[in-house]
Amino acid sequence: MPPRLRLRPRALLIQRSPSQHSLRHGYASLATATTPAPPIEQTIKSVPPVLRYPPTQPPSHKPPEVRKSQLHRQYQSVLKASPLILIFQHNNIKAVEWMGIRRELTAALEKVDAEREKLGQELFADGIKLQVIQTGIFASALRVVEFFKPGESALDHAQYPTDPTTPTSAKVPNAQNTPDDETFAHGLSRKAHEAASNKKLKLELEPLLSGPLAIVAFPSVSPQHLKTVLSMLSPSPDFPAPRRKVNPGYHEPEIQAGLQKLMLLGARVEGKVFDQEGTRWVGGIEGGIDGLRAQLVHALQSVGGSLANALEGASKSLYFTVEGRRMDMEEKEKGDMKEE
Amino acid sequence: MITRFLTNVNLRFNPFSPRSKSARLFLSLIPPGARANGLLIQSKMLPRASKEPATLEIKFKDGKQMHLDLDKMRITEVTEELDRHSRTLARKEELTGN
Repeated sequence: MPPRLRLRPRALLIQRSPSQHSLRHGYASLATATTPAPPIEQTIKSVPPVLRYPPTQPPSHKPPEVRKSQLHRQYQSVLKASPLILIFQHNNIKAVEWMGIRRELTAALEKVDAEREKLGQELFADGIKLQVIQTGIFASALRVVEFFKPGESALDHAQYPTDPTTPTSAKVPNAQNTPDDETFAHGLSRKAHEAASNKKLKLELEPLLSGPLAIVAFPSVSPQHLKTVLSMLSPSPDFPAPRRKVNPGYHEPEIQAGLQKLMLLGARVEGKVFDQEGTRWVGGIEGGIDGLRAQLVHALQSVGGSLANALEGASKSLYFTVEGRRMDMEEKEKGDMKEE
Repeated sequence: MITRFLTNVNLRFNPFSPRSKSARLFLSLIPPGARANGLLIQSKMLPRASKEPATLEIKFKDGKQMHLDLDKMRITEVTEELDRHSRTLARKEELTGN
């Protein structure tokens, strides 16, 4: 009968060999493992810093893919980019009416721009749009814009290449890819969220931000455009609506029905809040910023003139006094001469 | 809110006062075709500094007039108040078979 255990000569060989090895070197810790030396390139140059998120998408506090985050970001950019924003309330305006109002508004603004183009002034008609907003998100975005003032950007913590031979000279922020990182200071960051959710701070515009709202944002404070928009959307004696003969499209029943439901509530001009009258006052500034500059120059010139007169007056009077004294003394001298 | 039986709406409010919220919400509750169907709406906006309370004057089809002080009311209370009369009008209309 053959033996049950088969002899495996190779297995025996492997089992035996380590024991022989350990016998040869006493301790494993003293064994020298031969690792290959790093290539010479690695020892001379440092590893380039790595950006751990797409440069245009730093990690945000709320999930960035949802609609409200994107609207929040969009409203922040609108609020930061436009110094003049008109706020309207819209009461159940139909889609057809919106369409008509927007069409007439762009037509009127293009007319203004055509006039300005002749004078070589800046054109803004493309940037002025009537936009329906989500009120709550707009209010939150306004809080971030007003109350969150980031002192430093994420790039201030950037890694600088320590060696001129590093492969990149680009500044790469040394930040992790989580919203917990303190270095983020963009509008959707956690820091911005915390600054804006401070209940003690109150917005001046807070009472207006409820109900259905629409805004008209201007890329610059241009009273000429403001005048046109006011006369189209909320006509008043100061800003009369265009006549039927001039602009028959404006007097279509659909557009008029829509305009009845659109109310001007107020405006935000360079961070300050104006009511209806204040808005009309801004619209009534003649000639815009250039007109104001001209007024200022005129005022300063007249002040300068009077100042020069005043200064001249003093020197003149001094001259007269001295001259009078001289005459006086000369007469005296003459008198002395006669006496002699 | 039942707006079928309203003929005149006269609103005065200061949009910058937080108490005029119900006045603004009332305007937003009026259906889009109401003006075309003969409802007259006049809304007067007060300047920012005014302390005048928001008021609502309403006329119904049967001639009844209502004056509401919107300063102290929530929008649900306003609609309740108006609907109470509107429902009686609706019932009358139903009984006469129109």
